Amino acid sequence: MNHAVAPQAMNSLVIRSNNRISTLMLTALGLGGILLVALGSVLIGDRGITMDFSARMLAPSWQHWFGTDQFGHDMLARTLHGLSLSLNVGLITAALSTAIAVVLAMLAATGGRWADAVVSFLIDTTLGLPHLMLLILIAFALGGGTTAVIIAVTLTHWPRLTRILRAEILQVRSAEYVQASRQFGKSWWYIGRHHLLPHLLPQTLVGFTLLFPHAILHEAALTFLGFGLEPGKPAIGTLLADSMRYLMAGNWWLGLFPGLGLLLLVLSFDAIGNGIRKLTDPRLSEV
Amino acid sequence: MAMPPLRAFALATLSVSMAAPLTFSAAIASDKAPSELVLAIGGEPKEGFDPLLGWGQYGHPLFQSTLLTRDAKLETQPDLAKEWTLSDNRLTWTITLRDDAVFSDGTPLTAHDVAFTFNQAASAGGALDLSAFDSAEAVDDFSLVIHLKKPWITFTENFYSLGIVPAAEYGQDYGRHPIGSGPFKLISWTEGEQLIVERNTEYYGKQPEFSKITFLFTGEDTSLAAARAGQVDMAAVPPALADAAPSGFKQVVVESVDNRGITFPILADEGKTDAEGNKLGNAVTSDRAIRRAINLGVDRDLLVQVALFGHGTPASGPADRLPWSNPKAAVEYDLDAANALLDQAGWLRGEDGVREKEGVRAAFPINYLASDSTRKALAITLAEQLKALGIEATAIGKSWESLGQIFHSEPVVFGWGSHTPLEVYSLYQSDWAGAGYYNVGYFSDAAVDAHFAAAQAAPTLEASYPDWQAAEWDGTTGYGAKGEAGWAWLVNLEHIYYVNECLDLGETQIEPHGHGWPITSLIQNWTWTCE
Repeated sequence: MNHAVAPQAMNSLVIRSNNRISTLMLTALGLGGILLVALGSVLIGDRGITMDFSARMLAPSWQHWFGTDQFGHDMLARTLHGLSLSLNVGLITAALSTAIAVVLAMLAATGGRWADAVVSFLIDTTLGLPHLMLLILIAFALGGGTTAVIIAVTLTHWPRLTRILRAEILQVRSAEYVQASRQFGKSWWYIGRHHLLPHLLPQTLVGFTLLFPHAILHEAALTFLGFGLEPGKPAIGTLLADSMRYLMAGNWWLGLFPGLGLLLLVLSFDAIGNGIRKLTDPRLSEV
Repeated sequence: MAMPPLRAFALATLSVSMAAPLTFSAAIASDKAPSELVLAIGGEPKEGFDPLLGWGQYGHPLFQSTLLTRDAKLETQPDLAKEWTLSDNRLTWTITLRDDAVFSDGTPLTAHDVAFTFNQAASAGGALDLSAFDSAEAVDDFSLVIHLKKPWITFTENFYSLGIVPAAEYGQDYGRHPIGSGPFKLISWTEGEQLIVERNTEYYGKQPEFSKITFLFTGEDTSLAAARAGQVDMAAVPPALADAAPSGFKQVVVESVDNRGITFPILADEGKTDAEGNKLGNAVTSDRAIRRAINLGVDRDLLVQVALFGHGTPASGPADRLPWSNPKAAVEYDLDAANALLDQAGWLRGEDGVREKEGVRAAFPINYLASDSTRKALAITLAEQLKALGIEATAIGKSWESLGQIFHSEPVVFGWGSHTPLEVYSLYQSDWAGAGYYNVGYFSDAAVDAHFAAAQAAPTLEASYPDWQAAEWDGTTGYGAKGEAGWAWLVNLEHIYYVNECLDLGETQIEPHGHGWPITSLIQNWTWTCE
């Protein structure tokens, strides 16, 4: 996938001008949203986990901003718990996927013709399979649960970043100053550390950040379909799946707020990812 | 590498929009004549419509007719049988049939078909209780005798539920192409989608008012959506959706013995396993004090309110309101008494509020079928209530397969409810320990077994009721909550249907386990009240 295309679409939607101040603010806003979720879920403690049978199925009010469910769980607290759970799963999977991508990209770009062929084949194979299908297959084969979701999402999210990093390495490697360095008798190890890595780091960071929303959404989707996290955990996917049967009865708040929460979390990561890219990209920095 | 924002938005809102099912697999004529009905009540039998394999056990077999039938008050009425008598040694039934019954293909139904049905069912090994059956033989065209190996009064259940099949037509494929003497005949069955039946003009009884009935096998949400669209005349709905009848529909609430409760593993945890290697026994629930305390200390009214949205009644036993259950066996909710009972038994509260006895923590999982939202709600609510008793219970959802691996060693939410006391027998009789899904806790009690034996030896089903009641509670012991407390029965469901305002169902029975199909047992009495 061409990584330049999507952020452009983002531009046209969110900020038309490429103003560095507004980019910075958007990034900060995204970061703030994520910190809020992380801190909030710690601060509320047991709220949303313990039941209050006297406050069942209440519509949103000042006491319960997001309403309550069948057992009297506060939905705001429950949504925060769910988002924080998603954050944790997202963090682990995005980190693991990025690590796989970096290792494979290095291997492909520096390991010779055969290594490149093998990695390219792996990328094509993984990308060629329907994404959600592969996720379900792996999660199902591993018996579901948190570990299964983490493994399934990790194993399906590395190829695109690998492809980008590989291209980046190939490009830098053929640059004149790298060729010159080689002519001066520097080892590949030296070149890798001093010429390649500085170029790869921003790309990797952006890739990691933008993997996050993917991982979170796929975790939620897997859980929603019943292949993911344990049903006892207040994951967003579980909340949405549970809300299904009450929507027909008119209890809209059970589905709307967790859904919105997930959307905002994903948009926060998008904002951060794009912000980092724009703020570090020399071609955009002078505008 | 970036995520297109539109896709992010689509995925996040997908789950919300998926809640409104938009498609129907079955074609429905919207301008149908009032003599036709479309029902979305579920209940599709996986094995087909073969009575010998269990079709008709819950509710009416519809295509076949039975020797006897039950009316709305569950009183016995003759159907194919005109007279039925049990010999004094209780080993031989003599049955006289009506002589005007014919199968839907026009051939007369005779005693040979009845004898064939019973003999064949005994060898087919279906879900029926024919353990006491020896043989059946026709005396002449319209009378037969059935020989039993031992006195066994619950054998009569087969008279109500075993549909008679034609000896000449019965074969491998019968379940898909049933021929019988019931009020309806099968026109077409698309598995997983719909079943179309037509009035059997050869039927000897009262002709149903509706000439054609379509059963849609849709999910609950889809059924409700179909009712809203006016495409069905009746939809079975879960408790969560039961209070918003679409316009043009009335809410029909049917009482049931469709109960839910949790099993207790009775055996001590001694590291034993059954033949399949599944663990037996539980160190906590093997203590009778724990089982009694849970029965005492659970607020069943609250369970009904929270888990069933008020659409049910508290359960005290496996057959509430049926004549073989003992009303004296019920216990009242009393949290203090339950806690006192546990204190006395040596289960003392630790620092975190959870009780302990001799190093054993009063903690266990409550397992439930993960796909069943009502059972899930019950398990979660029960676990929360048990905290007040100092018992740490954790609700865990599992598949049927995984439940089968742990149900001898951990409590599980199960549901039963039947029109025959045989079910009670199967749940608590010691020989049934470990047999299928029945006595999964290995309940075994000599006094209860003795009452069961006395009941089975009774001359009539009515005469056996006092013995069944004594098995539940005889003043000193029993399987009920005051005695050995083999289960904690929690709630009886109410079955809720949205029914077209023009459709009158007449009087309804107390329904057995299984939402949906049982409602058809009195289908002949349904009438259309609009012009």
